[in-house]
Amino acid sequence: MGRGSLSRVWAVAANTFRETVRERVLYNLVFFAIIMTLAGLLMRQLSIRQDEKIIKDIGLAAMELFGTLIAIFIGVGLVAKEIERRSLHPLLAKPLTRDEFFLGKFAGLGFTLLVNVLVMAAGLAITLFATGRRVDPNLAKAVYPIYLGLLLVVALALLFSTLSSSALAAVFTVGMVVAGRFSDVVRNMREVAPGAPTWLVRFLYYALPNFRNFDFKDRVAYGDPVPLAALGSVTAYAAVYIAVVLLLGLSAFRSRELS
Amino acid sequence: MTPAASRTNGPALDVRGLAKTYTTGLFRKKRHTALKGLDLTVERGEILGYLGPNGSGKTTTLKILLGLVFPDAGTGTILGFPLRDTAWRHRAGYLPEQPYFYDYLSAREYLDYAGRLFGMTADARRDRTARLLETVGLRRSAGVPLRRFSKGMMQRLGIAQALINDPELVILDEPMSGLDPIGRRLVRDIILGLKGEGKTVLFSTHILSDAEALCDRVALLRAGELLRVGDLAGILGTDVSHMEILVAGLSPEAVGRLAPTLKASRALGERWRLEAAEESLGPIVKAVEEAGGRVLSIQPVRQSLEDYFIKEMGAARTEAEWELEG
Repeated sequence: MGRGSLSRVWAVAANTFRETVRERVLYNLVFFAIIMTLAGLLMRQLSIRQDEKIIKDIGLAAMELFGTLIAIFIGVGLVAKEIERRSLHPLLAKPLTRDEFFLGKFAGLGFTLLVNVLVMAAGLAITLFATGRRVDPNLAKAVYPIYLGLLLVVALALLFSTLSSSALAAVFTVGMVVAGRFSDVVRNMREVAPGAPTWLVRFLYYALPNFRNFDFKDRVAYGDPVPLAALGSVTAYAAVYIAVVLLLGLSAFRSRELS
Repeated sequence: MTPAASRTNGPALDVRGLAKTYTTGLFRKKRHTALKGLDLTVERGEILGYLGPNGSGKTTTLKILLGLVFPDAGTGTILGFPLRDTAWRHRAGYLPEQPYFYDYLSAREYLDYAGRLFGMTADARRDRTARLLETVGLRRSAGVPLRRFSKGMMQRLGIAQALINDPELVILDEPMSGLDPIGRRLVRDIILGLKGEGKTVLFSTHILSDAEALCDRVALLRAGELLRVGDLAGILGTDVSHMEILVAGLSPEAVGRLAPTLKASRALGERWRLEAAEESLGPIVKAVEEAGGRVLSIQPVRQSLEDYFIKEMGAARTEAEWELEG
């Protein structure tokens, strides 16, 4: 990828960031941060010993849930809407390739989610601080994998949005995310469906993205140690999975007719 | 200097045997042939009007050129580069039919974004954007979000973004669509200005009067096949089809008496416009004067592009009907 190519990817990414910010994502974030802070203060009233854990747990879970919702519902529109409205046509008539456009969209939403996650993490830290607790730097060890998981959701949403309309892409992406959250159910499928072929169970288990791999919330909230090696392996898992999904998306997008 | 700028010989655009069939429907597949082996050449520095009724394959041709849809067969070059090569895009501009641009941006922001895709510097983008907004008459709306733009304003922005890189070749799909008379005049002037700068313009249109006013040559497309390519005089001929006589001071009865020698007559307030064959002009003028009328003007009328178009396309459909279908 040459310098010109990188600058075009960057231009699309910057515009995508501007698009997502103007889609009122930031308003959602501010709203969420306020709710989270209030929830934390409420917990302070109700709970005696477990309150710090609960604040962390709720904060991280909300970060993951809201981030996933943003990744899906903005992600599925990023390419599909451009195809449906034909706003893509004048862009692809310029020296911008389809690959550059697709990767720019991914990077742009990835950056929006990074800002999103950082703002939410700041909200969590402020809540802890406001309720008189120590701001635990180990929170980063849960936030980072959450962000990796969100990037994977974006890649999936982009893949499906190149293959179908934004509505169908949303259904497929939600399906993948839910299935990926419960991949251990898939692994144990033979307990409820003994007739299921072993190869099928194994294929589904490995083909579906295992979103539990990105879940370090409990370990961080309970103060259990999170070794850097574990973070390294989840990074490698995310990198490989995201790369495969992006390559599939690129391949689908390259051959898509824009009539 | 971009790589495309170096190949300056040969036609601006040359395609051979372009064919495209669309398949629709999931289970009961329907096939629609949009293009049947199209050959087309656009010379450098000319304005070529690409004409045809809806569904004749005009937009499909332009989309194939730009790589938005893929041809089943055919090859071609643009500015000396193969169609699939993106190098020529540095020196080309494109306005899609009924363009849609991001409604969350302003016209200035959109043009800046377009300039970035060409690798233009910030200063160059700022200067070019300001100049183009002035040219298309959007200077005062430069900061307004595009969601508040009318269809005509979108079209003007579409033309501006097609020119952001000062292109050698400009491809415009229905550039007059959605424009009021002032906007149409503006676009006509822009197209003629491009020709004056030595640029090449390929534009598709339904509006035949625009093609007549602007084009060096026209290409007529019917059902995916090229019917005719050439200069207007060559296609329409220079023969006078009839004479148009404007008269005043005639009663309807007097016009009625002239009817057997006329092709058509129409009252225009107190005046009449009479149409007649060239050879019957003398007797008609004499008869008008005898009936106490005055001849105000006599004009020879040649076959218009619209006459030719309707004759060749088979059905006697008017330009307005084609517009309505669009």
